[in-house]
Amino acid sequence: MPQTAPAHPTTPLPQDAYILGGNRIPFARAGGKYASASNQDMLTAALDGLVARFGLQGERIGEVVAGSVLKHSRDFNLVRECVLGSALSPQTPAYDLQQACATGLEAVIGVSNKIRLGQIESAIAGGTDTISDAPIAVSEGLRHALLNASRAKTVGARLKAFAALRPADVAPATPSTDEPRTGLSMGEHQAITTARWRITREAQDQVAYDSHHNLAAAYEAGFFDDLVTPFKGLTRDQNLRADTSLERLGTLKPVFGKSLETPATMTAGNSTPLTDGASAVLLGSREWAQAHDLPVLARVVDGETAAVDYVHGHEGLLMAPVHAVPRLLGRNGLTLDDIDFFEIHEAFASTVLTTLAAWEDDDYCRTELGLDGALGSVDRARLNVHGSSLAAGHPFAATGGRIVATTAKLVAAKAAETGRTARALVSVCAAGGLGVAAIIESADTEGSTK
Amino acid sequence: MTDTYTSLVNGGLTGSLAKKLGLPRPSVLRRHTPGAPLVTGPVLVLGGAVGTGDDADAVARTLLGWDLDVRRTAADDTARWGAVVVVLTEATHPDDLSDPVRELGSVLRSLAPGARVVTVSRPALATDAPALAAVRQGVDGILRSVAKELRGGATGNGVVLAGDVTVDATSVHGALRFLLSARSAFVDGQLLTVSSDAGSAPADWERPLAGRVAVVTGAARGIGAAIATTLARDGARVVVVDVPAAGEQLAKVANAVKSTALQLDITTPDAGTRIIDHAVRRHGGLDIVVHNAGITRDKLLANMKPEVWDSVIAVNIASQLRINEQLLASDAFRDAPRIVSLASTSGIAGNRGQSNYAASKAGVVGMVRATGPLLAEVGGTANAVAPGFIETDMTSRIPFATREVARRLNSLQQGGQPVDVAETVAFFASPAAGGINGTTLRVCGQNLVGA
Amino acid sequence: MGDERPTTTLPAVPGLGGLYARAVAPDPAALLARVPVLGGLVGGRDEDRASGIVLPDVTYRVADVVADPARLLAYQRLLGEPADDLLPAGFVHVLAFPVAMAVMVRPDFPLPVAGMVHLANAVRVERPVHVDEHLEVRAWAEDALPHRKGTQVDLVTEVSARTGAGDEREVVWRGVSTYLAKGVGAAPSAVAPEVSDDAAGTSVRSSAERFPTGRWTLDAGIGRRYAAVSGDRNPIHLSGLTAKAFGFPRAIAHGMYTAARALAESDAGRPGADGRGAYDWTVEFAKPVLLPGRVAVAIEPTTSPDAGGRRAFRYAGWDAKSGKEHFTGGVTPR
Repeated sequence: MPQTAPAHPTTPLPQDAYILGGNRIPFARAGGKYASASNQDMLTAALDGLVARFGLQGERIGEVVAGSVLKHSRDFNLVRECVLGSALSPQTPAYDLQQACATGLEAVIGVSNKIRLGQIESAIAGGTDTISDAPIAVSEGLRHALLNASRAKTVGARLKAFAALRPADVAPATPSTDEPRTGLSMGEHQAITTARWRITREAQDQVAYDSHHNLAAAYEAGFFDDLVTPFKGLTRDQNLRADTSLERLGTLKPVFGKSLETPATMTAGNSTPLTDGASAVLLGSREWAQAHDLPVLARVVDGETAAVDYVHGHEGLLMAPVHAVPRLLGRNGLTLDDIDFFEIHEAFASTVLTTLAAWEDDDYCRTELGLDGALGSVDRARLNVHGSSLAAGHPFAATGGRIVATTAKLVAAKAAETGRTARALVSVCAAGGLGVAAIIESADTEGSTK
Repeated sequence: MTDTYTSLVNGGLTGSLAKKLGLPRPSVLRRHTPGAPLVTGPVLVLGGAVGTGDDADAVARTLLGWDLDVRRTAADDTARWGAVVVVLTEATHPDDLSDPVRELGSVLRSLAPGARVVTVSRPALATDAPALAAVRQGVDGILRSVAKELRGGATGNGVVLAGDVTVDATSVHGALRFLLSARSAFVDGQLLTVSSDAGSAPADWERPLAGRVAVVTGAARGIGAAIATTLARDGARVVVVDVPAAGEQLAKVANAVKSTALQLDITTPDAGTRIIDHAVRRHGGLDIVVHNAGITRDKLLANMKPEVWDSVIAVNIASQLRINEQLLASDAFRDAPRIVSLASTSGIAGNRGQSNYAASKAGVVGMVRATGPLLAEVGGTANAVAPGFIETDMTSRIPFATREVARRLNSLQQGGQPVDVAETVAFFASPAAGGINGTTLRVCGQNLVGA
Repeated sequence: MGDERPTTTLPAVPGLGGLYARAVAPDPAALLARVPVLGGLVGGRDEDRASGIVLPDVTYRVADVVADPARLLAYQRLLGEPADDLLPAGFVHVLAFPVAMAVMVRPDFPLPVAGMVHLANAVRVERPVHVDEHLEVRAWAEDALPHRKGTQVDLVTEVSARTGAGDEREVVWRGVSTYLAKGVGAAPSAVAPEVSDDAAGTSVRSSAERFPTGRWTLDAGIGRRYAAVSGDRNPIHLSGLTAKAFGFPRAIAHGMYTAARALAESDAGRPGADGRGAYDWTVEFAKPVLLPGRVAVAIEPTTSPDAGGRRAFRYAGWDAKSGKEHFTGGVTPR
């Protein structure tokens, strides 16, 4: 593929940012093992597991950045509260970040940039989300009445504020994951994209099948022994179905796209269920890692966030990574062939497939991505090799941390095996037509072995 | 894990009632708190003639060097003795026992709570003159009987000096100190053999493991967690290891002892290498490995399926053997290394329904006996600790009546605490225990079973 | 402009409630029945007044109309318009339309207002209107024409505002609401071939299939909330019970609510970066939207952005389950 000229930053940054390791709790199905756990409980557990793995008790980390998509208003300082409840030094600063499903990956890129600038030497990036302990808000009517009453100066005015209430206003407002501007759920949006790209049911089921089997195999091989810490009795991702089959996936009824004029192909099996969980990734400069006798797995090379105009149907809601990746690759002088591992978040099986199809489409890449032609093909043998969200589940903000820690370990192992740099491309699509991509490379062996 | 009975019979009203009824009244044992005195009163050293420069005097001098109030006679009858050390190394005929033992008997009623009786003797060997062998073996009988006679949380144990080991050997000091201290609270009626001059006195007896890196398997809960905590208290950096499924508890332990957690199934073929790698990378070395991880899968042998047998052997002994091989082959494990393995009184005495477990735990006893010598050339040791009835989550699931009987079936009339096992492990791991190698020490309160 | 009719000046914009009452003054039972409705479920009275339809030769005028900022804000919140000081075209409609309604309820209006069907609405916006502008509203009826199902008539509403420094006025907004009086004057032989209501208007299908760009989840209260901000308290929109009285299975959404929401979501009704704010906004209604209900909508740009960043949009709404069309329309900047 013809490349645009690499546009490397002209000013070298003071240092590189490295991924040293990660930790997450197993992801639980909605209403499952973590039904009584809050975002704070889960992220604190993920942090404490990370602290335990790397001996960071009492350590003052440069910054902890994480977030949650479905968040209680009382959790305005969620991450800082988690830090205070963890074994980290209470002098560790923190802030909340939220970019829907891309929260975790955006947090990784953000703290990496601070490390690269020398503003901090160490960081933890992550995220947490619970669908089981989701916030319930009062209705707009009751909210207005309460606000008006609180502003009222007299009893009469206060009563008048409540007199405006209608019976329906007393019903609570449950959180919606529908896109505010379209009223369509993410699945319905993706169903349209799926239909436009003519992705088949069979291809989607195959992606789901691979995800479950790859994740199960990785667990069996002990790959997650130093990436996952059990929580509340759950030792593996609750959604994982090691014994699923294409036949069984084929029996599931479609759940999205049923009102379209095209056949519905998206089922509960090839769509990622709502899940509870939390993740955390430890990053640092090489000097910091060495001073703390910590391994250096991978370098955060670069990141790119894209957004697409999905509101009026011009582009699919979850297609932003399709736009982010060519920009990211181009800036770094890379092609798809230079990538050893592709970690494409499986919001839906068809999200992955539409992404791949789009990159292979000459016309689309020219008109929509501004390329000279198709970006290229992704070698499926390098795609989500240890499973992804379809099997693990997807607690929105926690997914980025899951993927980054997994990927860092993957490239480190590949480099150790082959003796040459291994490179991975990570992409996460998100609500709001957002998408984040990052390049992660194995760290050179210097400093990573004794 | 609460022993309600012990607290009841020691309480005011219920306590006096229990006394009148003649119920067994287990004492609250003296346990180690940093900074507390080694013993709770003056120490009487018996044996030999005073002032002749014999072994008893040498022991007395050692104790004086620890700032203890040491007496050579029981003349002061107002004393509540903190300990009595009976040095019998120079006895040559059973007649020689008479004087020191009578003196010991005269003070048994005036021991302080949590007092210690420690004999120092030499082993009876086939090559000894019969009278010499008789007196030396006789010490065993005295010690084990006296231990059963003691009350008030007092214990009786012996140090046995093998070969050319003198009473001034480092590990004789180490053993004496351990047996006098509160660290040996649940060790009772046991003889601990010092077989060489190896070992070194720690710079600080309160932190004997300072600068050492330890790995404890099965550290997520119970005895393993107590071992990790105790080793950390004694100054070690502790890598805590447990199966990935126990990771949540393991992380809590790691954070409590301010160290690192390694989720690892010890039955994986390269477990030893991964342990070494982790300890070296994160902590710069590896000095102490505590094989604590173990499982029980109880079944009468007549009903036992092969996989049940195999799983217990695989976890409890085969994994230890494989890890030890990797440790012995590693350059990282050569600075006075220590292997401490968890055996069990079931392995020594046998237990109905535990043939698989007993095989593995007796196997541990044999394993350390043979592994110790392999480590000796680099100043290392391998020893085992055999716990008796210890109050843990596991034993709390034993039915109440069975549990009560098991608890009272020893000289201290109670179950031990995980920390009691941990203290003994920590002692074996310490530099001062370098001359104790290949042994198994019971931590059982002198359990009647298999005694 | 067909504004050579004699002008009658009203003191103020009449309330729609009062107009509904006047439409059927002699007969309380028929009071509610003489209300124009959207959609085709209610049959008009089977009267034969086929020929000689003469519309009232009058233009009603209200000289000084100023928007109520609180009502404007409520409207903006409900429709998803930005809370600024400009009057959305749909708001101007609800502000001015009662003047046209007053024409329809004149005793000499030749068509039965009851059961009238709102067929279409076309609004031409000449420039944005500011909330504090003093507006003049003129309204009249014109173009009574045969329709395959009866007689259709246009109600024209013109809104003008001051321009420049003097008293000179310019038309800033012009709306044409087309109503059908079913069965009135219908001459089957003269009627064009039958076409399904579903196919009314422009299809938004860009390819073989039609894909929505969004979905509206309309609860049962949306009729009441739009009634509150628009002043149009037609009982067919307010509750299932009152709607049943007119033959609807449930309450139905205001047609102008759906059109105004599509306008808001298209972005095309707002002035461009170059300050230009003229556009056409059209809608044709098919099946009414029953409440509560879900409407699949496709609101899609049909042109590239102009110099000011504005694009033309077409839009459609249909029943997500049955595929039956509710409305189609467009927003075309000029």
